[in-house]
Amino acid sequence: MNRHIALSIPFAAGLILAAGTTQDRWFEDLTHPAGFVHPHTNRVFKNKYANIMSGYTSLGASVAVADYDGDGFEDVFLTESSGTGKNHLYHNNHNLTFTDVGEAAGVSKGNDDQNATAAALWLDFNNDGRPDLFISRFGHCQLFQNMGGGKFKDVSKAAGIDGYRNAIKAIAFDYDRDGRLDIFVGSYFQPVNIFDPATPRFFPESFETANNGGGLTAFHNNGDGTFTDVTDKVGLRQTGWVLDMGHADADNDGDDDLYVACDFGTDRFYRNNGNGTFTDITETALGFDTKKGMNAEWGDYDNDGLLDIFVTNITDDYMREGNFLWHNDGNLKFTDLARETGTFETGWGWGGKFLDYDNDGWLDLYVTNGWVSAGKDSYVPDIFEMITRPGVDFADVRNWPPMGGKSLSGYEKKRLFHNEGGHLFRDEAARHGVDSNLDGRGVAVADFDNDGRLDLLVANANGEQRFYHNTMPPGPHWVAFLLQGTRSNRQAVGAQLRLTAGDTTWLRFVDGGNSFAGQSSARVHFGLGPRSKFDSVEVRWPSGLKEVFRGLAADKLHNIVEGTGRKVQ
Amino acid sequence: MKSATSAAIATLVLSSFSWAANDAFDKGMKAISARDYPAGLSLLESALTQEPDNLQFGSEYRQAILKYARKIHPKEGQPADFDRSLKFFEGLMAKNAGAANGWLNFGFAVVDKIPAAGAISQVILANSALSYFTKSIEAKPSWIAYYTRGVSYLFWPKIFGRAPLAVADLELAMKMQKTLPPRGIYVRGYVALGDAYWKNDELDKARAMWSEGLKLFPDSTQLKDRLAKQGDDLKTYLDDVMDPSKRVDTDLKDLWTTK
Repeated sequence: MNRHIALSIPFAAGLILAAGTTQDRWFEDLTHPAGFVHPHTNRVFKNKYANIMSGYTSLGASVAVADYDGDGFEDVFLTESSGTGKNHLYHNNHNLTFTDVGEAAGVSKGNDDQNATAAALWLDFNNDGRPDLFISRFGHCQLFQNMGGGKFKDVSKAAGIDGYRNAIKAIAFDYDRDGRLDIFVGSYFQPVNIFDPATPRFFPESFETANNGGGLTAFHNNGDGTFTDVTDKVGLRQTGWVLDMGHADADNDGDDDLYVACDFGTDRFYRNNGNGTFTDITETALGFDTKKGMNAEWGDYDNDGLLDIFVTNITDDYMREGNFLWHNDGNLKFTDLARETGTFETGWGWGGKFLDYDNDGWLDLYVTNGWVSAGKDSYVPDIFEMITRPGVDFADVRNWPPMGGKSLSGYEKKRLFHNEGGHLFRDEAARHGVDSNLDGRGVAVADFDNDGRLDLLVANANGEQRFYHNTMPPGPHWVAFLLQGTRSNRQAVGAQLRLTAGDTTWLRFVDGGNSFAGQSSARVHFGLGPRSKFDSVEVRWPSGLKEVFRGLAADKLHNIVEGTGRKVQ
Repeated sequence: MKSATSAAIATLVLSSFSWAANDAFDKGMKAISARDYPAGLSLLESALTQEPDNLQFGSEYRQAILKYARKIHPKEGQPADFDRSLKFFEGLMAKNAGAANGWLNFGFAVVDKIPAAGAISQVILANSALSYFTKSIEAKPSWIAYYTRGVSYLFWPKIFGRAPLAVADLELAMKMQKTLPPRGIYVRGYVALGDAYWKNDELDKARAMWSEGLKLFPDSTQLKDRLAKQGDDLKTYLDDVMDPSKRVDTDLKDLWTTK
């Protein structure tokens, strides 16, 4: 008999459709009723390049989800970027409302004259069962240790992660499988002080092959509250304009590989060698691209047992790059099927996340987009005047035209792609009312009311968030799992789950913050469609242990602890 | 007497020059057919060096470059695969600024590189190609030069305001083709001018132009397709036609093979 602990969470009253929604519209916008009342504000720089930089630093709106207080309901961290702005920790009140407790918790101070918050990441770095908080900043990153009781302690200096970098994204996974979460930080600009740059040459040297960005930093978790920069040692040194990173086990060999999405140049794919090092196999895995990689999200969209990758790029009238949907062909080779699947064009793309919003067993995809929505005049002719000027030095910020009050790929509609059987996606965003035209950056997916239907929280730059509560009519079944590692990292990041119902097996995994400007729930959610039960779920833990759990009920969240199942080879 | 001798010598030199150029061209084409690209390209470059204004030599040379690029890097080749022809034409035109067809082929060589390039490079390349097409017109105005530059403008997003320029060039090309003996290739003028009107938000004029073309070229599927579509369908169709990331057929063979 399995010794797993099954935590049954009652269905919330949310099964009753809220007033104002229809059978056709499955999401309701509860942003204001839920208490999300602090719009994001961009940083306004005060240096001599400020009028130019303002157009290129419309960043820092992000959302990260975790149950930081272990009360069984997912909480939210939302970032702010203005000079005096506070970051927000929204505690889930268990009734689809949230209360900002950031200041009381001690995690709200993320912005000042020398630091601008860019993104947040929950991770249990000390395996105490309490999610800690890493803040990526243009400036010095922060690490807050969750002390319990709703209090956090700033341990950035002691941890050794606060060196100057223009960090825009962090993810956490246990690359060397020593049972502790390591941190990977992506940086956009090179480590110049962008608040008071000593040189004007800190912009991208090229629009397609820039190699003067901030690159990435790999921090090994030493297990004593400190981290060591092992970037060179593990083979991840690079100088791209990193916007996002995504980890997953691409070849099902037990360790997590890494996709790095770079703006202004080539995305990189690193194979985990299984010995604590990585090898750049971009050329054979993907080929070299020259696009504007913004997002690196993994998921098995066609249920073939291999994890695929969704990357956003820029697709507009003036630049038709198209997204990548890298289908995993096996043997660490990928084919871009974005055109074929209908996911090619999402405007100026940002964060994108797989989710099964209708519990039909196929991963759908939500994509945020839009750069700067301002005046009616377009910035495109200005930028292309610079681009076509002979001999222009792109790296010199002084050559870039100020954006002023103009727009660039603004007012773009968000996309909710419904997966039509693993080979085609259809945009249902307008139907479900999740197609706002705000300047989206990141999205987090979580079941905030524990009703088995996945909700969305979208972070928008210089604007309000959008909280979309899923009100799909009841019918399709689901099951979710929250994993607890014992030999593995306690958060079980990297664990793969293979759930079998009849002749169907689905693969999902625990990700450590994949998707630009967004971290979704650590719970692993399976839509089961009409199946009211399933046969088993096999968990392959990061430690290498494989266990099978049987006899679990559908339509529940199950807590599963490593070492409590039936071991399999 | 002296001048007559000089003229005779000049004629002799020119004809032997032409013979040598044709010989190099023929040998080059044979080598390309045999997939001996290094030898073939050198021979074609030799032919072009002798006759920089030869439209056919330039066109076949570019097609050979494209074939070679696709052989080395399947699909569209890599950007660097096209640098040989760009460098060659740059040197050729520096010495032969009056060769209108040389500029035309130089511009097409740039266009040939576009699908292999990144989105921003595509803009830079497209801009360069336009400047070479303009030099061709400046050297010697011709139907093909106006038609080519007009069509090039069509690939620019509307925000750059080049649709009116496309209309102007293609109207000139139309005017010219109406004074020339009729040829099958001129169906392209009707297609392109209609497309330019459409892009310039002059739908009625676009349809009128396509209809006029269809009367002269009743078998044209391009014209029929356009006339059969309305609204969003037409937009989707023409957006696809004018997608700058897709390869444009720049083979000029029709100019000397069609009636």
